[in-house]
Amino acid sequence: MDPLLLGGLVALATILVLFSGVSVAVGLLIVSAGFLIVFDGMRSLELMPEIFFGKLDNFALLSIPMFIIMGASIASTRAGADLYEALERWLTRVPGGLVVSNLGACALFAAMSGSSPATCAAIGKMGIPEMRKRGYPDGVAAGSIAAGGTLGILIPPSVTMIVYGIATETSIGRLFLAGVIPGLLLVALFMAWSLYSTWRSGNTALLSAGSYSWRERVEILPRVLPFLAIILGVLYAMYGGVATPSETAAVGALLCLLIAMVIYRLWNPRDIWVVLRDSTKESVMILFIIAAAGVFSYMLSSLFITQSIAEWIGTLDVNRWVLMGAINVFLLIAGFFLPPVAVILMAAPILLPIITTAGFDPIWFAVVLTINMEIGLISPPVGLNLYVINGIAPDISLRTILTGSLPFVACMVLAIVLLCLFPGLATWLPNAVMGPGL
Amino acid sequence: MTVQSAAVAHAGKNLFLRAVAAVSTLAGWCSAAMIVTAVAITCQMIFVRFVLNGSTVWQTEAVVYLMIAATLIGLPYVQRLRGHVNVDLVPLWLGRRARMGLAVVTLSVSILIVAVMFWYGFEFWHFAWDRGWRSDTVWGPKLWIPYLALPLGFGLLLLQLVADLVAILIGADRPFGLEDA
Amino acid sequence: AATELRLSHQWSDKDVRHQVAKIVADEVAAAGVDLEIKIFPTQSLFKAREQYTPLSRGQLDMTVLPLSYAGGQQPAYNLTLMPGLVKNHDHAARMNDSPFMEAIEAKMAEDDVMVLVHGYLAGGFAGKDDCITAPEDVAGKQMRAAGKAFEQMLAGAGASIASMASSEIYNAMQTGVLDAANTSSSSFVSYRIYEQVACYTPAGEYALWFMYQPLIMNKSTFEGLSEEQQAALMAAAEKAQAYYLEEAKKEDAESRRVFEEAGVEIADMTEAEFNAWRDLAKETSYKAFVAETPDGQALLDLALAVD
Ligand code: NA
Ligand code: NA
Repeated sequence: MDPLLLGGLVALATILVLFSGVSVAVGLLIVSAGFLIVFDGMRSLELMPEIFFGKLDNFALLSIPMFIIMGASIASTRAGADLYEALERWLTRVPGGLVVSNLGACALFAAMSGSSPATCAAIGKMGIPEMRKRGYPDGVAAGSIAAGGTLGILIPPSVTMIVYGIATETSIGRLFLAGVIPGLLLVALFMAWSLYSTWRSGNTALLSAGSYSWRERVEILPRVLPFLAIILGVLYAMYGGVATPSETAAVGALLCLLIAMVIYRLWNPRDIWVVLRDSTKESVMILFIIAAAGVFSYMLSSLFITQSIAEWIGTLDVNRWVLMGAINVFLLIAGFFLPPVAVILMAAPILLPIITTAGFDPIWFAVVLTINMEIGLISPPVGLNLYVINGIAPDISLRTILTGSLPFVACMVLAIVLLCLFPGLATWLPNAVMGPGL
Repeated sequence: MTVQSAAVAHAGKNLFLRAVAAVSTLAGWCSAAMIVTAVAITCQMIFVRFVLNGSTVWQTEAVVYLMIAATLIGLPYVQRLRGHVNVDLVPLWLGRRARMGLAVVTLSVSILIVAVMFWYGFEFWHFAWDRGWRSDTVWGPKLWIPYLALPLGFGLLLLQLVADLVAILIGADRPFGLEDA
Repeated sequence: AATELRLSHQWSDKDVRHQVAKIVADEVAAAGVDLEIKIFPTQSLFKAREQYTPLSRGQLDMTVLPLSYAGGQQPAYNLTLMPGLVKNHDHAARMNDSPFMEAIEAKMAEDDVMVLVHGYLAGGFAGKDDCITAPEDVAGKQMRAAGKAFEQMLAGAGASIASMASSEIYNAMQTGVLDAANTSSSSFVSYRIYEQVACYTPAGEYALWFMYQPLIMNKSTFEGLSEEQQAALMAAAEKAQAYYLEEAKKEDAESRRVFEEAGVEIADMTEAEFNAWRDLAKETSYKAFVAETPDGQALLDLALAVD
């Protein structure tokens, strides 16, 4: 059978299986097994556990649970509240203080956590009730946190960047740096929108919430120091020759656990277990998808589908920006239904040859891809951040959260457009720090 | 939307379901312990290399095996916590009976594929054990030890999936963990 | 319909080892014996170290593989990446055609594996700040070595061993996690290590690092082919082997040229230094090999007997 037609069949089967409600990882195994049996023979089933094991046999994957533990341990303390309060005290003169400080706290927290739901939960627990109390509309309160939380995978460290780095064999250190400026850009866009919408709502009282004395502002600083220590420590370890990025993650996890225990008195074994349980749950979920997607990509490669699609796109005579647009629409649709890790792993082997042939930088593309995946995190039916918001504020309807986060989605699309116009936003920092790329 | 929700598979009073739940929870503890051990070993490796300038020959490999084992052994626990992401658009939209039917079908097919992974995982483990394979490093551990995670992890996941199927068949739990519409 | 064989390897389509596979595939196709070889490069089917098992179980037909990757399954294979055992490329060619290689091929036959194309590639050392030519140069350095036997020898010289993938060498050198590395000439070039080091010791007149990387095939699959197909395959393999040897020689010179052009100091290993390394290897890697391999001493003697 023609590999392209076969590819279409695989796509159809995958959609059908995943929509049946089976878990994503098991669904990928089912589709892989089905096509392998039909086109490669029964014996190829023997290989599946071996390939599954092999996909996990990679030291860089260690950093996934580690960066999740970092976020989870800090999120389980009142550290998120401290961070948020400190920013509020300092940003009070800035118009729109509360929502701006929430977004700032999300950005800072994102620099300590590799996952988006953790970022969302840590800041949202404190931020959403506080914003609602002060009269912000539910949509703005929920939407800003849902969107701010997605920064967790753009601002380093980032689980999706690690997975992309492994799937495409690009430097994880470089990918992390590439996310910094676009991350800050998105924060700025988010803040600008929040200010504008608050101002437009006419409730100008919100724009100058409270005022704090200098004493109150200085007082809270020591409580923010542990964060800065962790961020600086991790950066030093990663770029200062102490350890490789994957190893650094373990140092970060240990530092965060220690700070949570010593400074925030997270002594109770039950509380520590909650941190470990949540981290284990999220890590195992992601790693299961990674290994299953590995079996899936083996099937695609073995049936020559990956190679044929890349070849076929290469023969199409289309403008590279049209191609980039089409790829983004495809990713966006995939992101509606699948978690970022699954999209990256299923798409990377097919997309990477296309990207490089069309003359796009894989590091730059990682950033575009990540922002695209952030949109998927706040869109139904599978949007991890939506579930988190729903858990924090069950009385805000899904519709309100969605309409509240829609403008932020527009900001993300704008950021992708800006990245296309000015690729240097992503590539300048890694090149400046680590020299011109490979 | 049940994904990542706090819902846990319900066991009710059924002895089999409770036993499986206990085993899965124990597996979850082991998984978490292995992740923590991996953190500790990695930090020890950085200390030995960066501070003591010593050799680090076994750590990377040990950490990788621990992570693989943590993932596989953690599967049943995460299944019990309903932590494996799914798209429940169609199940939500279906009526009560159709939803039940779909749940039975998806669970049965899941059980089948996990049984395949368990069986060939066991075979692969046995192959390595029988032939005395080691890893090709200076440390050179016997490979049947890390490979053991394959039959163990998939075997335990199989057990939890069977328990999930039994639970919805006897009515101890709802299909897809969804509230009745 | 034509018989289809699947060949998997870990390198890019520019690598010499891909070219070797491609020559075999093209020649067999040109022979018109209804045999097609489909190549899966860059680990697109199996990961580098996960090719031997499916090959030996007949789930994969062919691969180009550093044989020492399977040293954990057949300890004898560790002898195909042993410091100072091969002196230069012509010596390597004589190794391929010796009782030593017959013994190694007998081990492969136990796993239902056979060789189509023999070939060795050489490699050298690169130092971030200083040159690495003699054993005393590595004392106290954090090093990444390619291969177990080299790790044992370098540890014996007082180096500290950090294990990581060759793709991580560049970053580890840049940030200073590593002080020196040892790998193949082509990896040094393809990972652009010349941007991060002060001194390079290429494989020259004296070279320590030779790695056996044959094109191997599942034996039963081969025996299942028709006589014409087998003959076409063997003829193609012979042509590829001649090409492999010539290119292997060129790679060392090419890596020397690239490093020189990048302004990296080139240091050559002297005969005395080579001998010092080999004496050290005898006490460390050779000894460890004999201890862990059944009939290890006999195999080592066979290898040392190749003139
Ligand atoms: Na982050
Ligand atoms: Na989504």
